[in-house]
Amino acid sequence: MSENNEHHSAGSLQLVSRSTYVKENLLKAVFFMCAFVFVLAVALIFIFVGWKALPIVTEYGLGKFITGTVWSSSTGQFGILPLIIGSFIVTLGALALGTPLAVGTAVFLSDVASPKVRSFVRPAVELLAGVPSVVYGFFGIILLRAIVAKFSGTLGFGAFTAWIVLAIMIVPTIAVLSEDALRSIPEGIREASYAMGATQWQTIYKVVVPAAKIGIIDAIILGMGRAIGETMAVLMVVGNAPVFPAGIFAPLSTMTTQIVMDMPYAVGLHRTALFAMAAMLFIFSMFLVATVRLLSRLRN
Amino acid sequence: MNKTLSNRLALGILWGAALLTVAVLGALLLYVFVNGIRVISPAFIFTWPHGVNAEGGIWPTIVATVYVTALAMLISAPVAVLAAVYLAEYASQGRVVSTIRFAADSLASVPSIVMGLFGFALFVEAMGLNLSMASAALALSLLMLPIIMRATEEAIRAVPKYMRWGSYGLGATKWQTVSRIVLPAAAPRIVTGIVLAAGRAVGETAVVLYTMGQAVNLPLTPLDSGRPMTVHLYLLAVEGINLPAAFGTALLLIAMILGFNLSARWILKHYRKV
Amino acid sequence: MAVSLLMVGGCGRSQGRTDQITVSGSTTILPIAEQAAELFTQKDPSSSILVSGLGSSAGIEAVSAGTAQVGTSSRDLKEEEKSLGLVDTPIAYDGIAVIVSPKNPVSGLTVEQLQNVFAGVITNWSELGGADRHIELVNRDEASGTREAFKKIVMGDIPFDPRAAVLPGTGQVRDVVARAPGAIGYISLGFVKPRFTNVTVKALKVDGVTPSEKTVGDQTYPIGRRLHFLTKGEPTGLAKAYIDFVLSDTIQKGVVVDAGFIPVAEGGAR
Repeated sequence: MSENNEHHSAGSLQLVSRSTYVKENLLKAVFFMCAFVFVLAVALIFIFVGWKALPIVTEYGLGKFITGTVWSSSTGQFGILPLIIGSFIVTLGALALGTPLAVGTAVFLSDVASPKVRSFVRPAVELLAGVPSVVYGFFGIILLRAIVAKFSGTLGFGAFTAWIVLAIMIVPTIAVLSEDALRSIPEGIREASYAMGATQWQTIYKVVVPAAKIGIIDAIILGMGRAIGETMAVLMVVGNAPVFPAGIFAPLSTMTTQIVMDMPYAVGLHRTALFAMAAMLFIFSMFLVATVRLLSRLRN
Repeated sequence: MNKTLSNRLALGILWGAALLTVAVLGALLLYVFVNGIRVISPAFIFTWPHGVNAEGGIWPTIVATVYVTALAMLISAPVAVLAAVYLAEYASQGRVVSTIRFAADSLASVPSIVMGLFGFALFVEAMGLNLSMASAALALSLLMLPIIMRATEEAIRAVPKYMRWGSYGLGATKWQTVSRIVLPAAAPRIVTGIVLAAGRAVGETAVVLYTMGQAVNLPLTPLDSGRPMTVHLYLLAVEGINLPAAFGTALLLIAMILGFNLSARWILKHYRKV
Repeated sequence: MAVSLLMVGGCGRSQGRTDQITVSGSTTILPIAEQAAELFTQKDPSSSILVSGLGSSAGIEAVSAGTAQVGTSSRDLKEEEKSLGLVDTPIAYDGIAVIVSPKNPVSGLTVEQLQNVFAGVITNWSELGGADRHIELVNRDEASGTREAFKKIVMGDIPFDPRAAVLPGTGQVRDVVARAPGAIGYISLGFVKPRFTNVTVKALKVDGVTPSEKTVGDQTYPIGRRLHFLTKGEPTGLAKAYIDFVLSDTIQKGVVVDAGFIPVAEGGAR
């Protein structure tokens, strides 16, 4: 949509004074630099975090780091496999719990709710998305953990509690984005389906949702990104034991929570290991972004 | 099961899903409100925490939160808006623009702990800013940039073409058109974006923990450190000794963010010309 | 619990102003440090004392690196830390209570049993004369001086069971243990009695001795420790004034006792 206002100098009609031409191009350069800040920022994050993480590869060994099963800073062992598994357990469980609820809410908003109901529910969901993670963690630690402890007879920390807290957190994100995707499907498709005698539900699950499939998958991927990168809320309910959990009520740890727990006192190789985990998280989140972009391109 | 019955059932389930989502929000807010409201008083808001268990108020944390958010807005808003201007008005589609967009999306998805560690490595250590409002504001602004840019770009694109053509037709340059016609028309949406981004910044914990620290202090200059409300809530929750203060902090925090979100909505509704 | 970072290489502005000092370290000592700082700056408003609690290890690191003028530690210096040139001023004594839920019938353990429990060797309360219930271990985070002290006195070289839940705050440990019949944890004696809550925990007898201020002071209770204020070299200026204030009766007979610790003049050395 950029209007091409380039003015060629020699040979064609000069429509503006030279000073204006210079000024316009100068401004364009300034704006470009502002836009380039984004690229610069990402590059800097890569460089700094990566540089601080590098000794893990050179001094410790990347293979040993990723596949090692013992994380014990006092004995110099930094195997992060339990943490990687922990991150995935917590994320995938939250996705399993939250996605149906989120997509269900999204479908409700786009296809079932009357405009009046929608005008109440959608802002409510958006507001839920704005609640800070520390408040969710607070809720988890004060209320949820005690309840889980009571009925499970355990401490109440662990995957189960984390799933619930994290699922509540990602539902608004996935719901809002999914609803946007569903609303972008033209009405005509739905009308055609009704014209053929389908009920509302049949239209939804046979026509609308498949049409919005990629947008919804985008939403889920972004929800996954949020879940895997979530720190504070999970930290308060997960129990922080860097081991493979024995059950869903046993304490475990994730990459993000281990970083926060250890950072205050980590030195040397220990701190490097934490930065290495941060680097991995960053790379993974960029990978998710790339996946979403690829899928969107396929959609078009 | 015939199709009418399954239709009814499915719609019922969908209603259930939406109601559950809203109910969770309601329950959360109600829980914090009920437990927090008895703590809220002018004393709570305007006095300092003191004593063994942070009794008293949370004034310095409120100041720290507002200060750093305002600073982050000042830093990020101009850059993000101008970047959006570039992408929407000046740039031609191509690899450069594609890279910029990928970077913006990546920046928006950076896990906050990574941003916190990065902020620590760059602003606190390498640039020597130490734990301060400045370091935290810089780190927060990186998170706010993509939000504001996206909102601004959409706002600019929503400005109808005829307004631009009119301007060019009168002989205005591109910048004159952008600055006098497009941006003012897009202003409400842009402001909304900035306000929403600020709401996000207010709720950040991991990022500020590593760039601002946690010593309770009333920040005066950008090089002063302090403790924001989110960190205060975290410490209170985890210590578990002074829960009333924790609830009060949580309530004020949610109120602040809700305030931001609602005013963003209001701005959009009442000032929209486009 | 406190997860901020003061272990920054650059000393920068923290050395600049003579009327401001940074005090950082143990979360156990934090209440004393904060209250003393508050009372001190009330008497002398030109001074500014920034207090934070990130853990004893972090405090030791900070004071030896110069980013804090006073480091607080609830554990003794490790061998490798003794050569850092730090001067140690003990400011109180503390007992570490081993706590269980009030519903737990077990009332005492030996140090050896404790060691086996926290190492994960004994996993069921029935092995200790209690109910048939899995032992839920609650540990403190590694930055905690309470953990260090417990480790040194009870565990020795035996490592903690890595499956234990690791909690970053005294209050949290207390709350969790109080509500779980199978849980066991350890906190500073001063925090055993409830403050803002009506949830209670039970402190176990260790080697037959009930923990109390008296038994910690006369060393009959085996798990006791000193609380330290550390400075790089002898304390000077504002740091010295502050430390002297903490050692004065106002604080020792006030805050220290309120926090459940034992004034340094009364207790025995350890």
